[in-house]
Amino acid sequence: MNMQMLVNGVLLGGLYALMGLGFSLQWGISGIVNLSYGAMVILGCYISLECYSLLHLSPFISIIISGAILYALGALIYRTVLQRIVRGGIVFTLILTYAVRLIIENGLLRVWSADYRTISLSYAGDNFQFAGTVVPLVKSLVFVVVTLLVYVTYCFMLKTKTGKGIQAVALDREGAEAVGISVEKMYLINFALGTALAGIAGSLWASVYAFSPDSMNMIAGKVFVIAIIGGLGNIWGAAAGGLLLGLAETVGATLIGSQWQEVIGMAIMVIVLVWRPYGLMGKKFFG
Amino acid sequence: MAESKEGVWSNMVRSKKLTGVLLLTALAFLVLLPRFVSGYEVRVITNIFMYAVIAQGINLMSGYMGYLPFGNAMFFGTGAYITAIGMNKGLSFFLAAPLAALVAILFSVVFGFVLLRLRGHYFSIATIGLSAALLGVVQNSTITGGAMGTTLPLLTLSPSATNAFFYFGMLALMVFSSLVLYLVVKSRFGFGIRSIKANEEAAVSMGINTTYHKVVTWAISALFTSLAGALYAYWMSFIAPAEVFDIMIGVDCIVIMLLGGTGTILGPIAGAFVYEFVAQSVWSALPNYHLGVLGILIIVILLFVPKGIFSGIGDFARRRQMKLLRKAGT
Repeated sequence: MNMQMLVNGVLLGGLYALMGLGFSLQWGISGIVNLSYGAMVILGCYISLECYSLLHLSPFISIIISGAILYALGALIYRTVLQRIVRGGIVFTLILTYAVRLIIENGLLRVWSADYRTISLSYAGDNFQFAGTVVPLVKSLVFVVVTLLVYVTYCFMLKTKTGKGIQAVALDREGAEAVGISVEKMYLINFALGTALAGIAGSLWASVYAFSPDSMNMIAGKVFVIAIIGGLGNIWGAAAGGLLLGLAETVGATLIGSQWQEVIGMAIMVIVLVWRPYGLMGKKFFG
Repeated sequence: MAESKEGVWSNMVRSKKLTGVLLLTALAFLVLLPRFVSGYEVRVITNIFMYAVIAQGINLMSGYMGYLPFGNAMFFGTGAYITAIGMNKGLSFFLAAPLAALVAILFSVVFGFVLLRLRGHYFSIATIGLSAALLGVVQNSTITGGAMGTTLPLLTLSPSATNAFFYFGMLALMVFSSLVLYLVVKSRFGFGIRSIKANEEAAVSMGINTTYHKVVTWAISALFTSLAGALYAYWMSFIAPAEVFDIMIGVDCIVIMLLGGTGTILGPIAGAFVYEFVAQSVWSALPNYHLGVLGILIIVILLFVPKGIFSGIGDFARRRQMKLLRKAGT
C-alpha cells in the first residue's frame, strides 16, 4: 500500500465516519435502525445544492442550514410516528423507517428529478503536495470539518447535561428514569441529532461527489457497514469504522477493481457481525 | 338471546368443517376464474399469487419464529438465475426449477449457520448485506450475463395457454406453500420455532436445538421464495440482476404480511389481494407518487391496524358487539 492510497483512503474514510456516526447513535441509543438514513443524507445534499445555487453559500457554511432542517425533520418524525411504534418490535421500526425513506425518495424525485447533480466550487480542482502525495484541497477541508464535528459530538455526549442524560438512558433505561431523566426526551434529542449529522454529512458529500436520489441506496449500505464495524452507539467506534471502510474500499478498488466496492464492504460487515456482533470497539450492552 | 348468537357465531368460525368447505370453495373459484377474466387480469392475479408465496416465506420466518429476513429477495434472485442458467444450458424447466430450489436451500443452510447466530436487528441487517453482496457477485460474473441480465428460452404455447400455465403454476405454488406452512406450524417442529419467538433463552434451556430449528425454517422459506423466482424467470423470459435481487420485493412482501396479519396462515394471501388492489387503483391514478403513497400506506397500517386489517376488523366487530351487549344488559 503506497502513501497516496493511504491519504485517499483516510480522506474518504473521514467522511464515512461522520456519515456512520449519526446512524450508529440512532441505532445504539434510541434503538432505531433507521432505514431512511440514506434518504436523509441525500436530502442534505440537495439542501446544500439549493443554498449554493440560490444563495451562493458554500457547502461548508450551509452545513448549518441542512443540519438545522434535518434536526427539525428528525424530531418531527420521532414525535409523530416513531415514538408510538418503536416499542412494537423490530419489524415495525424497520418497515416504518423504510416507509419514511420511500416518502422522502418520492419527494426528491419529484422536486429534483433522477439526474445526477454536483456542486462545482471555484477551488474544486486545487490541490497541494504533502509528504510526496497529492492532496485535493476540498477533500482535506472536509476532513478537517469532519474531525471537528466528531469531536464536538463527543464533547456534547460526555460533557453537557443533555449528553450525559442520553448516555445514562443508553446504559440503563429504568435507572435513568428513576433519577428523573425524561427518557422519551433523550431518545428524541438523540434521534434528531442523528438525522442532523446525516444532513451535515450530506452537505459535505455534495461538496466532493456527484449525487442523485439513487445514491441513497449506496449510502444506506455504507452506514450499516460503518456502524456495525465500529459498534453501535460508540462515537470513536463509528470514526474507526468509517476510516477502516474508506481504506478498505480504496485499497480494494486498486487491487481488484472498483466494481467490487459494495461486495467488499458487505463482506467486511458480515465477517465482523459473526466474529464480534457488538462491533470492533463496541460493548456488549449496546447489542 | 344476544349471548347465544355470539356463541353460534364463534362456533361457526371455529368449526373446522366450515373452514374447509370455505377454503375449497375459494380454491374452486380461483381455478375457474381465468375463464371469466381477460388475459391482463390473469397476469395481475398470477403476480398476486407470486407475492403471496414470497410473503409466506417471510411470514414463516418473522411471524412464527421472530426473525425478519429483510433480504429474502436474494433467494428469489437465486431461484431466477439458477433457472435461467440451467435452461440456457439445455435443461427443461421442470429440472432447472428444482435445481434452483436446491441451490437456494444450500445457500440458506450455509449462510444460515453463520447469520442465524445473530439476534433481532442484526439478522435482518445481515440478510440485507448478504443480498447486496450476492447482487454484486451476479452483476460482475460472466455466466449470469452481468448487469445487463439474461434471457430464457420461451415457452412455445399460445398466449392464453402461456397465461394459464403460469397462473396455475403460481396458484399451485401458493397452495403448496400455505399447506407446508400449516403443516409445519401445527407440527412439533412448529412448536419449537414458536417457542424461539416467545423466548429464545427459555427455548434453549428447555432443550430445543434452536440452531437446527432456525436453519431448517430459513431453508423452507428459501424453498418457497426460490420456486417463485424460478417461475417468475420462466414467465418473464428475461431477467436483470437489479430487478430480481431488488430489496423492494422483500419490502412489498413484508407490507403484505403486515396487511394480512403476521403469523396467520391465510393472512399473507388476503394481504396480497388487498395490496394489489390498492396498487392497481391508487397508483394508476397517481403514477408519479406511488412510492410516497406506499410509504403513507405503511405508516397508516402500522399506526392503526398493526395486527393486520382482518384482525383489525375482527377487533372492531367484537368491541361493537360488546357495546351492544352492555347496552342490552342495562
